[in-house]
Amino acid sequence: MAGLTLRSVRKNYGDVPVIKGVDLDIAHGEFVVFVGPSGCGKSTLLRMIAGLEDITSGEVSIGTRVVNDVEPRDRGVAMVFQSYALYPHMSVYDNVGFGLKLAGTPKAVRDANIRDAAKVLQMEHLLDRRPAQLSGGQRQRVAIGRAIVREPDVFLFDEPLSNLDAALRGDMRMELARLHNDLGATMIYVTHDQVEAMTLADKIVVLDGGVVQQVGSPLELYNNPANLFVAGFIGSPKMNLLSVESQTGGAVVSAALAAPLALRHDLPESARMTLGLRPHDLKVAEDGPLKGHVRLIERLGNETILRVSLTDATEITAVLPGQDALANGQPIAFDFEPSSALLFDEHGSRLNTAP
Amino acid sequence: MTDKTTSIPDALPTSKRLPPSRGSRKTRTAAWLFVAPAFIAYAAFVLAPLVMSFYYSFLRWDGIGEASFHGLTNYITVLTDRDLLQIIGNAFQLVLYFTLIPVVLGLAVASAIRSHMAGRFGTITRTVLFLPQVIPLVAAGIAWSWMFASTGLVNQTLKAIGLSSWARGWLGDFVWALPAVGIIGAWVLLGLCTMLLVTGITKIDPSLYEAARLDGARPWHEFRYITLPGLRQEIGVCITVTVIAALASFDIVYISTQGGPGITTTVPGLEIYRLAFAHRQVGLASALAIVLMVLVLISIAPVQWFTRDKK
Amino acid sequence: MKTATPNTLVARGLIIVLMIVTLLPFLSMLSAALAPQGTYPNGLQWPADPQWGNFARAFEVARMDQLLLSSSLIVLGVVPISVLIATMAGYGLAKLTTNKYKWLYLVFVFGLTLPFEAVITPLYYEVRALGLLNTRFAIILPLIGLYMPFSVYWMRAHFLNVPHDLTEAAQLDGATRWKEFWLVQVPLARPAIMSLTILLFLWTWNQFLLPVVLVQDPMQRTMAGALGAFQGQWGTDIPLLCAGSLLILAPTVALFLVFQRQFVAALMQGAVKG
Repeated sequence: MAGLTLRSVRKNYGDVPVIKGVDLDIAHGEFVVFVGPSGCGKSTLLRMIAGLEDITSGEVSIGTRVVNDVEPRDRGVAMVFQSYALYPHMSVYDNVGFGLKLAGTPKAVRDANIRDAAKVLQMEHLLDRRPAQLSGGQRQRVAIGRAIVREPDVFLFDEPLSNLDAALRGDMRMELARLHNDLGATMIYVTHDQVEAMTLADKIVVLDGGVVQQVGSPLELYNNPANLFVAGFIGSPKMNLLSVESQTGGAVVSAALAAPLALRHDLPESARMTLGLRPHDLKVAEDGPLKGHVRLIERLGNETILRVSLTDATEITAVLPGQDALANGQPIAFDFEPSSALLFDEHGSRLNTAP
Repeated sequence: MTDKTTSIPDALPTSKRLPPSRGSRKTRTAAWLFVAPAFIAYAAFVLAPLVMSFYYSFLRWDGIGEASFHGLTNYITVLTDRDLLQIIGNAFQLVLYFTLIPVVLGLAVASAIRSHMAGRFGTITRTVLFLPQVIPLVAAGIAWSWMFASTGLVNQTLKAIGLSSWARGWLGDFVWALPAVGIIGAWVLLGLCTMLLVTGITKIDPSLYEAARLDGARPWHEFRYITLPGLRQEIGVCITVTVIAALASFDIVYISTQGGPGITTTVPGLEIYRLAFAHRQVGLASALAIVLMVLVLISIAPVQWFTRDKK
Repeated sequence: MKTATPNTLVARGLIIVLMIVTLLPFLSMLSAALAPQGTYPNGLQWPADPQWGNFARAFEVARMDQLLLSSSLIVLGVVPISVLIATMAGYGLAKLTTNKYKWLYLVFVFGLTLPFEAVITPLYYEVRALGLLNTRFAIILPLIGLYMPFSVYWMRAHFLNVPHDLTEAAQLDGATRWKEFWLVQVPLARPAIMSLTILLFLWTWNQFLLPVVLVQDPMQRTMAGALGAFQGQWGTDIPLLCAGSLLILAPTVALFLVFQRQFVAALMQGAVKG
């Protein structure tokens, strides 16, 4: 049974550090998602766990074993690549069975395992085909099948859904969740898509600039982002971020705000900070502190997304439930629960929520 | 979404995202082991002899007895001796025939046809035009020696059209032997160049020609501004291949003229062979070999520069 | 297909002229080869009494059976090994793409334009020192080395286009480098390997300089080298010389006609890449 531990793991390309010291504990059976913008080091970290990249310093352990110098094939991991990386000259059957064949698994056992995997992934009818004859979604299944026949301790997914269209992505997401339930194996999943992260993960690791920004369950990250980066990255539409300045007495002022906003008493005086407001937390209220004009309306049926230009021309996004009869250019004002407002200091760190 | 649209973009983001120094140290060690056998073969039979050539070129040595250091004398000889200069000049004259004829004729055919040669006609054309590439150069030399012989087809044709006075033993003629050798090379390379250029021109987007015509371009303009630039790479390939074939020629000359009459058709390749193995002047032969190698490099470099870099 | 415009008619005409020019030397040789022995035939003239027996005589005089054997042995000595080690090296070099290793690739590329004449003299002394002069190995070993620049360059170009992910997938599937090479890379490289094999076969079979310098006995030479000797010996007997030449170039032409498509593709790509 294998969890995974990373201890001050670093990676440099020449003089350029790309992973700047990552510590992480992953329990057995957890579904962990590495998320972050492109270039944040999430794929590199995954590849270091797989053994495809050298570890400059630090330690990676799978189970209780330090695997820094263990060949990829001996680490007990399987990986699903973004490009699927299916062997073009082999049939689906041989693709799935290649690892077992290399491991010298007897033919009968191999055959049974391949057919089991095919059944789980509902691709029994594809076994004789070549990868070139498959659709994107089918290739994806084969790539996953190739991973599961080997019964690895840890599954690694490198942006596996990014080459699929939106509808298929939704289906595959559910299928992966089901697979995780059925197999109960440890899975590490890399994506730049926060929706995938939110829907799949037991635990999300947000990375930026080679540094872990925050680790937590999806809702922890949503409700209690540790810093501006996480706040801006998690949640859709993005959180509104307004520059404000604190005043004596725990209120904040900003050109964007119609009036000073009393928030918390423990604020330092006249400090620059950022106010974060989730689009879903804004409510239309005539005397609300956020006043502006509607610039853009997206009607989704179940909700209405507004782009609003505030008095100082700052733009914010608001999501209203249902179907509002709003018109472009119309004046509008919003209010919100003070408890839903998040404050970040000038370095971007979250100011602790007032009790 | 079809297969193609999902599979083709795959390669780009992955390769872009990852820095160039991919893979682990072990990968690199393994890669070295894979390269080693080829490198050893290359080092043993190309690099080492090349170094030896360089070394010999400073010696005075008959290949058997004592060698003595000769400084740059051999190189000075190569670059001042009238015969050797003529021999090097011969090679460059051959370039005119080996390169110009195939490229010009190839361009003419390509720009006239400007479409893929499909079907039976295309297959037959390709097969026939590639024949000279498949046979040994020696065979081409023999075939053309016979063509140019006093009772050969060339003279027979001249007589048939009333130009008997032109008939001669071409390969024994002090003036005409070198052009005759050049024709042999042109014959060998013509098909290859033509096919390369014809294939190249089919890759030019036909709508460019239509757009040019709408802009009022004449056929010459089309050739000058669309065909020529579009074929730059293929022309570069043709020139590279044919120039090397001319400068480093050996087989054809050895078979058809043995370098004669006099030294009118002797080329560096043949002279190296003679100097080293007949006249026992290993040092001079090696100096000429090094000069030949450098000449080829110098001649090819600008072609590569002009045709490949700008993309 | 577009309809035939006057232009394409002109082009077809031109091509037909080119084809005739290409074929005339062969026809001329054929007509001479069929002329009666000891005569001095005319350029292109179908003989009244075609002497097909000339071919049989040339076969005997040139000892074609032995020549074929010798050439085949040389090809078998050169081509498989060259293709194998070049494929390995191409794969290796495609994995060593950092600036640090660029020199290794450049050293190979440098050899692309090297005329064989530039190294033939020291090769003679090297082969003599190895005691291989006048054996087929005098041709085989140097040719393997001389073919490396092109072959390695060729295979590397192929491997650069194989997604790196496949290598990594194979690693994770448990393949050693060696197994990955044989089970994943080589099957995928088959078209490139096929073309390389064709080119190396042609170049070996037609190699002239090395046999002339390094091997005296025509029976130990390549076809082309033997043809040189044949001409030296029978150069004045035009019918016999022509018949012999045709026989000697027949095997490659026959192979070419059978594998026309592959040969043409290989020769064209070979030129472009070389």
